[in-house]
Amino acid sequence: MTPGQRRVIFLVAMAGLAAFVIWGITGLPGFGRYPGPYGPAILKVAEGQTNATGIVSAVNFEYRGIDTVGEEFILFTAVVGMTVVLRKLRGERQRPAIEEARERAQPAGGTGVRAAALAFTGPAALIGWWLATHAQTNPSGGFQGGVVLATAFLLVYLGGEFLTFRRLSPVDITDAAEAIGAGGFAAVGVTAIAAGLPYMDNYLPLGKVPGAVSSAGTIALISFLVGIGVAAAFVQIAGELLEQTMLVREGGG
Amino acid sequence: MNQLIPLTVAVPLLTAAALLAVRPLLAGLVWVANLAAVAAAAAVAVMLAFLLRQTSTDEAVYWFAGFRPSHGVAIGVNFVAGPISVGLALIGAILMTAALVFSWRYFTHVGTYFHGLMLIFLAGVAGFCLAGDVFDLFVWFELMGVAAYALTAYRPEERGPIQGALNFAITNSVGAYLSLTGIALIYGRTGALNMAQIGQAAASRSGHGVVVVSFLLIIAGFLVKAAIVPFHFWLADAHAVAPTPVCVLFSGVMVELGLYGIARMYWSVFGGALGHQAALADVFLALGTLTSVVGALFCFRERHVKRLLAFSTISHMGMFLAGFALMTPLGLAGVAVYVAGHALVKGALFLCSGIALHRLRSVNETCLHGRGRKLPVTGATFTLAGLGLAGLPPFALFLGKGWIEDSARMTWLTVVFTLCAILAAGAVLRVAGGVFYGLGDPPREDPRMEAEANEETGETDEGRQRTPLTMLIPPVLLVAGAMAAGVAMLVPGAGAAIERAALRFQDQAAYQAAVLGPSGHGGSAAAAPVATLHPVEPAAVTVSAVVVALVCVAGALALAGAALYWRRLPVLRRGYEPGAGLTEFSRRFQSGVINDYVTWLVVGLAIIGGVLALITGHG
Repeated sequence: MTPGQRRVIFLVAMAGLAAFVIWGITGLPGFGRYPGPYGPAILKVAEGQTNATGIVSAVNFEYRGIDTVGEEFILFTAVVGMTVVLRKLRGERQRPAIEEARERAQPAGGTGVRAAALAFTGPAALIGWWLATHAQTNPSGGFQGGVVLATAFLLVYLGGEFLTFRRLSPVDITDAAEAIGAGGFAAVGVTAIAAGLPYMDNYLPLGKVPGAVSSAGTIALISFLVGIGVAAAFVQIAGELLEQTMLVREGGG
Repeated sequence: MNQLIPLTVAVPLLTAAALLAVRPLLAGLVWVANLAAVAAAAAVAVMLAFLLRQTSTDEAVYWFAGFRPSHGVAIGVNFVAGPISVGLALIGAILMTAALVFSWRYFTHVGTYFHGLMLIFLAGVAGFCLAGDVFDLFVWFELMGVAAYALTAYRPEERGPIQGALNFAITNSVGAYLSLTGIALIYGRTGALNMAQIGQAAASRSGHGVVVVSFLLIIAGFLVKAAIVPFHFWLADAHAVAPTPVCVLFSGVMVELGLYGIARMYWSVFGGALGHQAALADVFLALGTLTSVVGALFCFRERHVKRLLAFSTISHMGMFLAGFALMTPLGLAGVAVYVAGHALVKGALFLCSGIALHRLRSVNETCLHGRGRKLPVTGATFTLAGLGLAGLPPFALFLGKGWIEDSARMTWLTVVFTLCAILAAGAVLRVAGGVFYGLGDPPREDPRMEAEANEETGETDEGRQRTPLTMLIPPVLLVAGAMAAGVAMLVPGAGAAIERAALRFQDQAAYQAAVLGPSGHGGSAAAAPVATLHPVEPAAVTVSAVVVALVCVAGALALAGAALYWRRLPVLRRGYEPGAGLTEFSRRFQSGVINDYVTWLVVGLAIIGGVLALITGHG
């Protein structure tokens, strides 16, 4: 197929498919007219059953916790896959990029950028940690917290310290942290089985007060584990891509 | 509460996470990773085998965290274990165990990443089979997909694997996005994600178009995964470059899961709400027949053994889809047995070509001509598996094909499928004769073939002088298993048991009752029990099935012989190369250009969508 033929065929077919999908969408209920029983039902029972006031977290980490195990592993697997491909592309014979970076002048960021990055590193780490540990009380959670936590590491790089960034996030440690985050989540479910309860059962004490940090049992624990896994995953994605960029830049002269 | 159900997913996930967490410590201890991975895969297989026994009479429903449905509303997520779903997952676990044993000495620098990815893939397979919730189904589908993309690109030092993995990842991701869109639409329409609950809600409210559209969008991802024409282009590209043990899983279970997804969506979710069963069946029958014919033709012209086997898989997927399209218990029982036999036989064929690649550094039929004579056991296994693929009794495949044809009672279908099977198995037997027995005329030098052959490099680090037993035993056992499965089907009552399992799979009302409880579906317009629609036809070994199978084997052998000795045939003009005309034609379609593949995907969906709209529009 020449690109021209392809474009014509694609546009004609796409028009047909779009017409078909639009025909279907017109059968949806109007905006705001949610037909299902699920939302009202979960809002009614969730707080009483879990002592969590972050109902989204309760759904993510308990009612539909098995989905979230799968999602956490999707992220983990995607990062492992990326790592395999990029590391093998770089080849075993080449020196680690960290050595090459040492011999090269650091990319010169302005003083303003460096100062701002430095100033934000601490708050980013703190906010990320807070988000990951407060899923049970408000709409935060491990996924959001992990990403914010990872930006703390990236701010170190932005401050011009690739070497420090790499020292702070050694590959073996980020690998392990990702695996512990994802595996720990799955293991929380298995410990329930060991106790004769259904997988993903919330078997920890739920606390006395709904919305307290110490409430909601496994929901808080799982959110924290997810936070660790997600932070490590995003640090690793950034680290691998930066290393790749440095090598390519090197190769290109 | 059957705790084996969640453990089939949790055990491989935990083992994978543990192996990857301690990866640096295992640098010099690859055997630990090998042992742990094989043990985990085998444990999953054993658990699924027990589960298969326990669910032979009743579906087992498992509610995660113990949230049972109340008043017909599912608040949590469930797994549903029945003979068909557990059986398919069991095939996956058996193939995974075989592939991991095979890889023990196959790669020398295999690294723990490989084991981790393989086990995560297995967890995805098990979760996909058991999921009772459409979004949960999608999560396991994606998990399996992500692991599969990474495994395809496992040797990225070469250009090929990256290209093949990209084609695979992009086409399948486009399909997956469509699936997710479909899930969102049906959730918007019914407010439910649980399959049984969607089925009830969709059947009882107005707004038919959205049900049809979300059905097609959801199965779009599965049609791509199942390599149904015209969504199939990625499959041969991915198989050509993926490590051979990974191909075993792709051909043996991953594409079949796509078909399982379609069948699950139809029988457990949309069947009752869609209606128009006969017309929909015709659509799937047409797709299946087209896929079978295209796959068989492309298979026969191929000289790259892994691609050849991949096209044979496409051809078989067409037959499986057609078997599903019959909408009868006997047809579905035939598909189940056919899938099981095909998985074992195809796994053995891939592993044998892996041994050839390991020892002879090539999987190109032209380069390998006669060089396989020093691998007698591998050659015998490959040939036997090729005969099994042709449907030689007592391999399970002949019964599967026979039951589908018995149920269809359409002469044209039997003729077409037999011709397709002759083409595909003939190509495999041509490889067997040429490579492992040196039969036929040595191939003529062809510059293009030469270039193609040079692209292929070994997966293993050095050619070894002998084949390790860990590589030889798995394919032998798989072939023996395919034969044993066929013999087991001859035990009185075995066929009937599979047919009953198929009947239960097709009974939407019974599925809803099992999941939501008998009180949960009071008065809803659920599908009528299938048993009343289709009286059970006996699943037996008929004389006609045996005759057709023998004709098929004889035809495949004759075709293989003709292909090997075609230069001596008087009827052909001199200088004719078999399949030469097809080559140019097929290259135009199988271009390797991802834009083309996605274009065909959209074309296929637009056509099927139009047909579905016509069928269901006035109903």
